[in-house]
Amino acid sequence: MSAALVAGAVLPERTFGPVTMTDIVRYQGASGDMNPIHHDDEFARAAGFPAAISVGMLGAGWLAAYCTEHLGDQTVRRFRTRFSSVVYRGDRLTASAEVVRRFQQDTETRVELDIRLRKDDGSVVVSGSAEFAVT
Amino acid sequence: MATMPIERGKIREYAIATAADRPAYTEDPKAPVPPTFLATVVFWTPIGETLRSPAVLRACAGADVPADLGSLLSLEQEYVYHGPLPHAGETLHTAEKLRDVTVKRTRDGRAMIMVRFTVEFRDERGELRAECNYTSAYVQRERP
Repeated sequence: MSAALVAGAVLPERTFGPVTMTDIVRYQGASGDMNPIHHDDEFARAAGFPAAISVGMLGAGWLAAYCTEHLGDQTVRRFRTRFSSVVYRGDRLTASAEVVRRFQQDTETRVELDIRLRKDDGSVVVSGSAEFAVT
Repeated sequence: MATMPIERGKIREYAIATAADRPAYTEDPKAPVPPTFLATVVFWTPIGETLRSPAVLRACAGADVPADLGSLLSLEQEYVYHGPLPHAGETLHTAEKLRDVTVKRTRDGRAMIMVRFTVEFRDERGELRAECNYTSAYVQRERP
């Protein structure tokens, strides 16, 4: 497995959703971010959105679940996510990752991945980069 | 500054909420933290006190950007881990530091105050185990 993790290697994609209100409130309860803009449609409309928007960190959490599934749960060294578009209920999201380099640091071998979560229409929801130790 | 116990049940709950409900997270009494789990630090301390620091409020006033929650956007979060991953049963201590404040413009010309701050997580021996680097911004609202 690990030997195949060289620059250019891609992980098999994984889809999440369609996003439901249950997904959103379960993440809000677990994370402690109770901003009503994520579960109160009226509140979201007052802020200028057509409906409640999903939580950016839920997308980041799904990307984290996707990465640890392939790279292990004990080996994350860095995990960076940038939020680029909002997600509504009903959106289906696809996670993808590509190895951009394999390098030595602190006596271990690491891989750096470009990670991405996109909607079916191709728009990017979360993009970022992650480093994991590999053997 | 706050104390954050890393709890097994909280890791289990967080893993289930992020579609990571695998035995390593849900069954191990010493389960490791999922990569973004430390976001739950908000149960122990409000995050973002540096967003209301004098340097940030001055920059907002100078650029005519309201420093309120309705203008605040979270742009990026980065978790960096040092040494073994924190796991259930450990206790971490947090501290927040302002990194920098910059005045920028959005693509459509509105003023934006970008704030970068870091929350550090140290263990009971004082070793730095994780950092979360936040990039947030107060953005001027659309003009009617």
